[in-house]
Amino acid sequence: MKAPLYKSRIEDDIKIRSYYGKYIFNSHFLIFLTIAAGVFLYSLLGILSTMEPTIYLDLIAALIMSVLLLPKYRSLLKEADVLFLPPYEKNMKRYFSYTSQYSFWLNIGLPIVGLVIALLLLSVGHSVVEMGVFAVMAVILYIMALFIRRNAINSPVSQNTVITLLVIIHFISLMLLLQNVFFAAAGLALIAGLYYWINKKQYKNLDWTTLVNYEAALLQKYYQYVSMFTNVHHISKQYKRRKYFDSLLKQPKPGMFNKGHMYEYLFKRTFLRDNDLPMIILRLLLIFTVAMVWVHQLMLSVIIILFGLYIIVLQMSQLYTAQAYLLWPKIWPVKREYIQESYIRFSHKVMLAISLALAALFIILHPPYFYIAVIFPLWGYLLNSYFSKSVYKKERLLSD
Amino acid sequence: MVLNIDKLTGGYSKTAVIHDISFDIKSGEIIGLIGLNGSGKSTTIKHILGLLHPHKGSIEVNGIQIDEDTEKYRRDLAYIPESPILYEELTLKEHINMTAMAYGLDESTAWERADRLLKVFRLDDKVNMFPTHFSKGMKQKVMLICAFIAEPDLYIIDEPFLGLDPLGIESLIELMVEERDKNRSILMSTHILSTAERYCNRYVILDDGRVLASGTIEELREQMNMPGASLDDLYLSLTGGAGSNESTSV
Repeated sequence: MKAPLYKSRIEDDIKIRSYYGKYIFNSHFLIFLTIAAGVFLYSLLGILSTMEPTIYLDLIAALIMSVLLLPKYRSLLKEADVLFLPPYEKNMKRYFSYTSQYSFWLNIGLPIVGLVIALLLLSVGHSVVEMGVFAVMAVILYIMALFIRRNAINSPVSQNTVITLLVIIHFISLMLLLQNVFFAAAGLALIAGLYYWINKKQYKNLDWTTLVNYEAALLQKYYQYVSMFTNVHHISKQYKRRKYFDSLLKQPKPGMFNKGHMYEYLFKRTFLRDNDLPMIILRLLLIFTVAMVWVHQLMLSVIIILFGLYIIVLQMSQLYTAQAYLLWPKIWPVKREYIQESYIRFSHKVMLAISLALAALFIILHPPYFYIAVIFPLWGYLLNSYFSKSVYKKERLLSD
Repeated sequence: MVLNIDKLTGGYSKTAVIHDISFDIKSGEIIGLIGLNGSGKSTTIKHILGLLHPHKGSIEVNGIQIDEDTEKYRRDLAYIPESPILYEELTLKEHINMTAMAYGLDESTAWERADRLLKVFRLDDKVNMFPTHFSKGMKQKVMLICAFIAEPDLYIIDEPFLGLDPLGIESLIELMVEERDKNRSILMSTHILSTAERYCNRYVILDDGRVLASGTIEELREQMNMPGASLDDLYLSLTGGAGSNESTSV
């Protein structure tokens, strides 16, 4: 007998995640995560042991949970389903129920981590009962948010509106119960009200196109996330013009208007107009900065910067891969080596700028050890030389 | 001889899709590559472009095989694919710049040629826009502009009229004739036989990966013993009428 559709779709999604999971949670990353988590917990517990109860801790705990209790509904629908599934819409309750359960487990990791941190914060000045009610409320809000976000896809209410309302309701609910556990009832009423409102707004029949597009967008987001660690074949790159970068994208000078510089001309544009890459690098830099300021420890700052540069070099290599496999470089009368040479030249410039910025931050944080900062541009250069050549080697082997 | 294909056998894997294909293109000729879907037109084109390695036989562009001097081989040809393939991150102006740099043109020469072509295809007010936001026909015009600014000895055009509006088709035909008059050559694969009959000097008719017939329209008529027959009639007769739904007229 043929397996139900939801089963095969869930299995396929798990397969994809297991496949890419290997690349994300590789040994380097796991070591980094373990060190980072250990240092974070150690410093957090150290801070908390000296703290007096304050409303700011409640605020931080409620805020952390408010933004983490936003599970996304994965319908696992595909483009062709728009054509084939609508006649079976009435018989698809089971499908949507199972995909909801799958979405529940898929999104649960971050809220659990957030809850542990929030409970650690609340351990200063709150009873076990209050913390227990906080945890139960978090679970209820998580489940309700999943249903609300799922139902909102099939309604005229935008996801941004729903997310904003959910964050506000989560925050109010959790803050209220931290003042008095009986106020949890108000939070429940609020979330139930939102659920009822979204239900009333739902279309009578399923908006298949929106559901499929929503699923495709979530899948793309996942692939974009994975692409921070490895090459992803399924990813469809999107670009947008950022007018503020146009001044950096000038017409090449006459001496540089030639095949030796054409790919650098292309890489600049690919990088600055990529929908995600510049923002991913900016976010990574922000995370590393916050981590270094938070920890404020010499050796960990060095480790964070070295690891940060490694992640950014991996990110940058997708630029090369995106261009090397396209049709035109195979047609144009230009040696393929020019792509590699241009990429190395361009990525060295970007890596130099990033490593100098991180080196400056390091010097500000640890002025007596300013001389250590010399290793960062050097590390960036070596990493980039090694990875850009290995990407090129892989591409050559594939093209042969 | 601009292009010389000699006993070419090849395909996407070890299984051959095209067998013993031989034909040539002289300077100032437009050759029509004609055949049903799956007859081997695109595979032949991919072999000429060097995207596939021949199992047997050889391909020469201006007397040079791709392995002898890849850059020289490619400099002598420009390709216009059936479906436009564009860089999403580049504007129309930047596509032209990239092509100019690839073909070793200096900026002023490239833009002198591009300005004229942009006017011909009515895209002169859209140079700073992203072609990915254009309609399919406009994207195809971008491909045409990029190919025609290179002014190579051989143009390879896969289904040139697909997606173009009537004005675009007319402009393209004028350009093709103009290029032919400048002694440049064109290999075009097409299903639009009535147009091919009017502008092509010779035809290569493929079926099931083999050359079924080749020559001028007169030569084909003689071979088929069908005096006065149109290319449509000759083609239908050659393919046993199976292609009657495949050919279209403009």
